[in-house]
Amino acid sequence: MDRVFVRLRRFRRLFLLLAVVGPGLITSNADNDAGGITTYSQAGAQFGYKMLWLLVAVTISLAVVNEMGSRMGVVTGKGLADLIRERFGVRGTTFAMLLLLFANAFTTVAEFAGIAAGLELFGVPRYVSVPVAAVMIWLLVVRGSYPVVEKVLLSIGLVYVTYIVSGLLVHPPWNEVLRSSVVPQIVPTRDYFLLAIALIGTTVTPWMQFYLQAAVADKGIPNENLAYSRVDVLVGALVTDVIAFFIIVATAATLHGHLSGEQLANMQAGDFARALTPVAGRFATALFAVGLIGASFLAGNVVPLSTAYAVTEAFGWERGVGHRFSEAPAFFGIFTGLIVVGALATLTPGLPLVSMILLSQDANGIILPAILVYMLVLLNDRRIMGRYVNGRFANAIAGVTVAVLIVLTAIIVLSSIPGLPLSE
Amino acid sequence: MLFLTEILGAEVIDVRQRRIGAVRDLTVHVQEPYPIVTGLIVSRRRELAIPWSEVRTFAAVTREVALRSSREEIESRRAQPDDVWLARDVLDKQVVDTDGRRVVRVNDLQLVDSGGRLLLVGADIGVRGILRRLGVEAFAKRLARLFGRDLPMALVSWEVVDPLNSVPDPQRPASDDAVRLRISGRRIARLHPADIADIVEELGAKERKTVFDTLTEEIAADTLEEMELEDQVSVIEHMDARRASEILDDMPPDEVADILTELPKDVAEQLLGLMTKDEAEDVKELLAYEEDTAGGLMTTEYVAVSENLTAQECIDELRRLEPDAESVYYVFVIDGDEHLKGVLSLRDLIVARPDQPISSIMIRDVIAVHPDDDAQEVAAVLSKYNLLAVPVVDDEFRIQGLVTVDDALDAVLPESVKRKLPRAH
Repeated sequence: MDRVFVRLRRFRRLFLLLAVVGPGLITSNADNDAGGITTYSQAGAQFGYKMLWLLVAVTISLAVVNEMGSRMGVVTGKGLADLIRERFGVRGTTFAMLLLLFANAFTTVAEFAGIAAGLELFGVPRYVSVPVAAVMIWLLVVRGSYPVVEKVLLSIGLVYVTYIVSGLLVHPPWNEVLRSSVVPQIVPTRDYFLLAIALIGTTVTPWMQFYLQAAVADKGIPNENLAYSRVDVLVGALVTDVIAFFIIVATAATLHGHLSGEQLANMQAGDFARALTPVAGRFATALFAVGLIGASFLAGNVVPLSTAYAVTEAFGWERGVGHRFSEAPAFFGIFTGLIVVGALATLTPGLPLVSMILLSQDANGIILPAILVYMLVLLNDRRIMGRYVNGRFANAIAGVTVAVLIVLTAIIVLSSIPGLPLSE
Repeated sequence: MLFLTEILGAEVIDVRQRRIGAVRDLTVHVQEPYPIVTGLIVSRRRELAIPWSEVRTFAAVTREVALRSSREEIESRRAQPDDVWLARDVLDKQVVDTDGRRVVRVNDLQLVDSGGRLLLVGADIGVRGILRRLGVEAFAKRLARLFGRDLPMALVSWEVVDPLNSVPDPQRPASDDAVRLRISGRRIARLHPADIADIVEELGAKERKTVFDTLTEEIAADTLEEMELEDQVSVIEHMDARRASEILDDMPPDEVADILTELPKDVAEQLLGLMTKDEAEDVKELLAYEEDTAGGLMTTEYVAVSENLTAQECIDELRRLEPDAESVYYVFVIDGDEHLKGVLSLRDLIVARPDQPISSIMIRDVIAVHPDDDAQEVAAVLSKYNLLAVPVVDDEFRIQGLVTVDDALDAVLPESVKRKLPRAH
């Protein structure tokens, strides 16, 4: 029986790793969406290397938080929305879901703004690009053909690897870059703190916690393979932030110090594209635009869809693209509603796209602590996690993230009161 | 109507009018048809439990529970570890509504006072339960009436509810909770396997396991057959190897081969080793073929009889073989070396005279495909000749297996079309 194991032998040798690796990498890739690219670029352009240390700190937080979510998914086999409902009842769940809807509406706006900004670089006005993109996204998901496109979009995300090349080609002052990466530097201005919230909020996003855990739970990974899924999320976090790191380095080297205060306050996507000039020359704009459009389009699919899943899962309503509209009205309603809100907000005349994107990341950063607190309660509950409850290290890192975001938010709120320091 | 969430928080007063605490939970004894409330939990942390027999009066409106005994007598009572707590173990959890054949969430639990005993009679799965717990039920009702609408109550009787809860607990095996809640055999097991499959496909991996653990091997195998390949793989992966092999034994070899292909090699080999010898041999043969070819699609469960039989002998042989429904479309006629000589339909057999040799009534020009033929070609052949199944033969025209029209259709239909199919209700 020589042929017996032909099919077995064809086995992907890396089966285990392949089966487990995935959710973390995919989510992290989707992380460098319109919000991410814009925030990191603005950070580099406005503050040079001064925010690198924060990115390094956020990377640790991202790795820890993603590990927590994926561990919760593996151990319980349930999504975050599911667990929130079972642990916190109707009131706690309603609050969490309102926050999620709010944050994700902002995120969806950012994705549409990203699509609009990217296509404007090719001369397509947003009044054309946004409605077309909205209809395309809606059809892709409702027709169930999204998984096919996912791979294409994910590979477009690889465009941003060019930032690494660009970051190396600009020959940044490595001494300063390294020093800035480990020595915290705070510029005590409102702009700095706002951008800091955005930077944390765009890296460790609320929606990703729901998406990642649901994806992990769906895979049904046995507890014994926790180690593999840890590798997945850690590698994912690292890859995302290496790219983010070089986005900041490249924009800092090419843009920082060359722009006036007024220009910095009104950045255009085209300005950010100049950071890719060292690697792409006159194709920098096109390269930047393609990456921005691809990443925004990908997240534009994922965010509304994962929101609809989370909310319907929490309230026990029918869900899934396999249903008809009349069978799952809440599911399709939320999904459609988010797309409509995202598209309409982007079409508001006179709204600068870049500011809109940065604002939405601030909203995410302000909401994130609440979601992290929900996660921390769940992860420390022995009835839910058994012997896989959170360790001290994870609690500390997540706790610090929560505290920092609350302090930053407080600073921003206080600074808007006239007469106090920082207020303008 | 009395709901659990209306009782939670009610004041508990002892016989001397002293306040003991508030109702945090209710414990029930699981029985048919309706579970009966056995006690009150006053402190969740200390698990302080008051037996229902100590309750003198229960006023739902004033939200007050009066006891027969004093605080001191009660302080010593502790909940039993295997008690079912309604708020902790059932409320907010997913359950299967076996009547509606769907997975729903428990927004509230309906209780009925029947001669001093409190019975759990139903689950509120509708929006009313959510509004009630947000404290806006009355307001929403008035608002709805303003628009000339009615907010209907969505209650399902406890008789048709099957709990799924499985909370991992360091002291207990993971599936224990579901087992504790189980009532004289799972109701879900009585559904059609296709409905069970629909239900479990909506569940997380671990909840799926609890459902499968309670099905008999035969029903588990039928259910698995109705599921998508990746879900099949995930179910088998999570199962104890011995039980998995027993379930695989009950499935057609072609489906088993598909599942094993997706599993890690050592797991697949272990399962093959545990399966019955015959089934394992069949599966191994199928594993030798590429996935999207006739060989990969075919099943080895087909009916082949010797060319020397008469019609009557052939019918007797069929009776002895008891073939599965999907393989009885055609009866294949072979010689001593398994060469395919002809094919008979059941109709041909029945209308023939009993003593007629089958070689004289069989069709000799058999349409057949080769194991290496592409799935598309197989589908084209089935469609062109209007066949329900087509035999697979090797280079010497020896029969190897059978591809049925539904397996071929599955292989060639685009994924998006399959998922758009409406669910039967």
